[in-house]
Amino acid sequence: IQDDHKLSTSELEEKYGTSIDKGLSSSRAAEILARDGPNSLTPPKATPEIVKLLKQMVGGFSILLWIGAVFSWISFGIQLAQGAESPFDNLYLGVVLALVVILTGIFAYYQEAKSTNIMASFSKMIPQHALVIRDAEKKELPADQLVVGDIVEIKGGDRIPADIRLIFTQGCKVDNSSLTGESEPQSRSCDFTHENPLETRNIAFYSTTCVEGTATGIVINTGDRTVIGRIASLASGVGNEKTPIAIEIEHFVYLVAGVAISIGVLFFIISVSLRYKILDSIIFLIGIIVANVPEGLLATVTVSLSLTAKRMAKKNCLVKNLEAVETLGSTSIICSDKTGTLTQNRMTVAHLWFDNQIYSADTSEDQTTQPFDQSSPTWTALSKIVTLCNRAEFRPGQENLPIMKRVVVGDASETALLKFAEVILGDVMNIRARNKKVAEIPFNSTNKFQLSIHETDDTDDKRFLLVMKGAPERILERCSTIMINGKEEPLDSEKAEAFQTAYMELGGMGERVLGFCHLYLPENEFPDTYPFDTDSMNFPTSNLCFVGLLSMIDPPRSTVPDAVSKCRSAGIKVIMVTGDHPITAKAIAKSVGIISATSETVEDIAKRLNIPVEQVDRREATAAVVNGMELKDMTLQQLDDILCNHSEIVFARTSPQQKLVIVEGCQRQGAVVAVTGDGVNDSPALKKADIGIAMGIAGSDAAKNAADMVLLDDNFASIVTGVEEGRLIFDNLKKTIAYTLTKNIAELCPFLIYIIASIPMPIGTITILFIDLGTDIIPSVALAYEKAESDIMNRRPRNKKKDRLVNEQLAVYSYLQIGIMQSVGAFVTYFTVYAEQGFLPSTLLGVRVNWENNAINDFEDSYGQEWTKYQRTYLQWTGYTAFFVSITIQQVADLIIRKTRRNSIFQQGLFRNKVIWVGIFSQIGIALILTYGLGHVTALNFTPLRFQYWFVAVPFAILIWVYDEVRKLFIRRYPGSWWDKNMYY
Amino acid sequence: GVTLRPDVYGDRGLQIYYNVSDNKTWEGLVTTLRNYLSAYTPAAQRLNINCTGDTYFIQDTFDGPNKTKLSCKFTSDMLQNCSGITDPTFGFPEGKPCFIIKMNRIIKFLPGNGTAPRVDCTYVGDKSRPLEVDYYPVNGTFNLHYFPYYGKKAQPSYSNPLVAVKFLNITRNVELKIVCRIIGAGITFDNVHDPYEGKVEFKLKIED
Repeated sequence: IQDDHKLSTSELEEKYGTSIDKGLSSSRAAEILARDGPNSLTPPKATPEIVKLLKQMVGGFSILLWIGAVFSWISFGIQLAQGAESPFDNLYLGVVLALVVILTGIFAYYQEAKSTNIMASFSKMIPQHALVIRDAEKKELPADQLVVGDIVEIKGGDRIPADIRLIFTQGCKVDNSSLTGESEPQSRSCDFTHENPLETRNIAFYSTTCVEGTATGIVINTGDRTVIGRIASLASGVGNEKTPIAIEIEHFVYLVAGVAISIGVLFFIISVSLRYKILDSIIFLIGIIVANVPEGLLATVTVSLSLTAKRMAKKNCLVKNLEAVETLGSTSIICSDKTGTLTQNRMTVAHLWFDNQIYSADTSEDQTTQPFDQSSPTWTALSKIVTLCNRAEFRPGQENLPIMKRVVVGDASETALLKFAEVILGDVMNIRARNKKVAEIPFNSTNKFQLSIHETDDTDDKRFLLVMKGAPERILERCSTIMINGKEEPLDSEKAEAFQTAYMELGGMGERVLGFCHLYLPENEFPDTYPFDTDSMNFPTSNLCFVGLLSMIDPPRSTVPDAVSKCRSAGIKVIMVTGDHPITAKAIAKSVGIISATSETVEDIAKRLNIPVEQVDRREATAAVVNGMELKDMTLQQLDDILCNHSEIVFARTSPQQKLVIVEGCQRQGAVVAVTGDGVNDSPALKKADIGIAMGIAGSDAAKNAADMVLLDDNFASIVTGVEEGRLIFDNLKKTIAYTLTKNIAELCPFLIYIIASIPMPIGTITILFIDLGTDIIPSVALAYEKAESDIMNRRPRNKKKDRLVNEQLAVYSYLQIGIMQSVGAFVTYFTVYAEQGFLPSTLLGVRVNWENNAINDFEDSYGQEWTKYQRTYLQWTGYTAFFVSITIQQVADLIIRKTRRNSIFQQGLFRNKVIWVGIFSQIGIALILTYGLGHVTALNFTPLRFQYWFVAVPFAILIWVYDEVRKLFIRRYPGSWWDKNMYY
Repeated sequence: GVTLRPDVYGDRGLQIYYNVSDNKTWEGLVTTLRNYLSAYTPAAQRLNINCTGDTYFIQDTFDGPNKTKLSCKFTSDMLQNCSGITDPTFGFPEGKPCFIIKMNRIIKFLPGNGTAPRVDCTYVGDKSRPLEVDYYPVNGTFNLHYFPYYGKKAQPSYSNPLVAVKFLNITRNVELKIVCRIIGAGITFDNVHDPYEGKVEFKLKIED
């Protein structure tokens, strides 16, 4: 911890070997630069691209496929050594599995890289420059070239380029919000005011901005050694949690693996007891395990997630990490920033008080007029003061921009007043030109007012107009009259009372209130040539005429209240965490609905009942406004109590570290927490959160790096879209998985029956791959486009522990009900084909050994015909094709039933999701191409199937549909029944 | 499909190797032939009728016993020198072995388009010396009256017609590759995938 703030200028010069007038010499600066490195925050250790790519290829699903691939290769090795007939099938299978993982990995990597690039384009701002004194010359240098000991000059609007000990200031104010979250500008001076270097006024910190004034200072810390640099490095210490969807997928992988291994072991035992050779049994075991691997699912899930990510990006939610797409959907608590996220991040005039009446102003983002009553002459007088007693100006060259979007030079309040006047009166600059300013006293903290004297544009009136604005109580003190309906009336106690009431009311709304007064200077005392002197104040500053009050606030974004109420109905708790004052925070919270109109805090209750706060039953208060100071002294237990017992919470005056504590507190409640933030100081909390949401416009690079998602428009309402999309994708992934798992049984059963009943192999490995990675891919992705079945924003966030992505019901229904039906349908086709070709089902049982014997070339069928080995193999392929075709046909039905989990298909609409139809047509199209187009390519094991065999499975497809409609009907009819509990997935 | 008797399969298809001076090596082959021909004794063929026509034996009605169709008799004596009657060792010890060629049954298949299909055996590849073969019955034909086949139920006593081939000039101690094709319209033997369609290929090696 440094004590630079305590040192005198000369001590500083000595310490850093610099001179205030001459600065460092270039050579000395170069030396220090070489020693300390550039003045920039080291970006968090970037994962090498190749590692990112490889990470996409391991973990979760990919593991399952890798295991499958390795098993296939083992199997291949054994079979090759055995000299089995087609060992290469297993080699190919392994290769395909590996390819799927690799290609999907590359795809996911590419998707995420794309988002990262979009972000990178945001952060590539114009390189910062700093005005530095070196070699006794002022030089403009890139900010990262600064070194300790450099003398830098700063003016209003600049970003502070390093930690700086100030040695000269003039009206300097800094906005420390990026450091502390506090949005109120703080004044800076050269004086040592506080032991704590963070609190003292004579240090300005890296990454904060100078709002107004000028300053010169010595650089005392650069780069990572700055205060902000140290906070940023905190973030790297916070571990990244697994995303909820990753947990779900892991759970799914365990489930599939469990099923695979149990069936595998069971059939291993069966095949051993059926006197298969041990090695053959092992091949079967591996085959069964591999057959359970849903080859296509990894790709489907990845594509579905990236489709959603794309959709969200369109709605200004940029997802950095594909899995985070769903996280927002499971979010149960959002810890939101106030400034910029919930509010517009600019002061705007919200209320006026004149003629004893409060008027509301329009605070929306795109105001072009103000609707309040402007007919009173008092307003005319007030508007004149607002216009003239104001030093803010528009930057030139913005005439074509909407007023609210124009850039203004001046502080926040003056900017608000300027824009307010411009909206109502039109060209303010012109009005000011016509009312020439002859004298001015700018605002300072001792006077707490601002004053200027103008000639008026009224040619008949030669009097000067003195206008003044400032802290209302100070202004009132200087007034003896008050203007009511254009007439000056004496300011009696009754009117003063009315003023107090209005002032309290506006202040109570968390608004910054300014008072306005004026005085026409008598012509005889103050002629044209009167020499106004602002130092001696040779003009009256008391007995003025009070005109009115204006109050300003950083108003909520107009979309936020709606978004908050949507979150509320979606069961998501919105907690405001801000560095601002409790009153302002509470006012904004109330106006956006974070604290609802009817709920009260402990303090509110105390006030209403007129009892001390301690006597209030804390359980009665649904809302709570917690001050950072209180939070500091709280135990974790107390924090948990607050988080548990209050549904509406605002944390005000919190520090960045406390934000982390709050997030951890929420996570202790088992909540999935989303955190929004923009500053470097937010990055630890962003990282700690289940989903960190950084602001795209206002956000710092550190925040964006730590976040999982970036809001491109900084708008809270975009989060709601994200929640909706996240929930939808969770539902739709369920459907996709259910769809995909179903046919796994129809692919596995043939193998099992082949082992037990020794029938000719009903479906081949390659054929299965063509289903899993061919016909089924587009349909399963199409399910990602399915619309929600009911209003997903009206239900509570899913329970992490109970609402699994793949639950028992889903597995049982898919595997054992629809899956078995599908298998039966496919087997019926298989037996039909064999029977029509000559082998009645009874002749097929136990036929395996002879069937596969190369030495039998006159194998007799049920009709006495004789078959060579190749003819049998060809028939077997025809069987594969038939099996394939009937699975495809039944998957069409499966696809249709998976559109909904509860509603009837007719409620959902068969044609609303057009992509489903693309899926169905692609499915059938691919099957047609494989069967008839590639039916002559022997390596693929397809044959041009007789057309009628396509229809054998149709009744089963219809059965599947009807069965599922009945299932859904009973679920809707008897909610909570046994049926509902066991059949709803 | 075309098959061969005796049929001994090695790693790559049919391989018939034996040593003339070691009767253990060919007794098995002879037994296979004898057993195979046991279904062609007059007693075994007694349910079948004598056919004389040299055309397809088309039956639209069920004239046989128990509503079946009639089948033509094929007896082993039609194979003359290879019948096992005159030479019970089928020429194996002399190094002039007999093989029996048979076509797979296919229901309603009419081979040859009116001309009886015949067996033609040659060396595979370019052999300077032609393969000398005796075919039984004469010309190595399958008489048309054995076709078409109407299926197991319609013709329960049907037996495939056979052609025996006797190789006369087999070089000793050399592995020879021989192919016997069925020549006839509608019978193809150029399916690359199916080595047994319209032909049967085998390796023969006679040692002494």
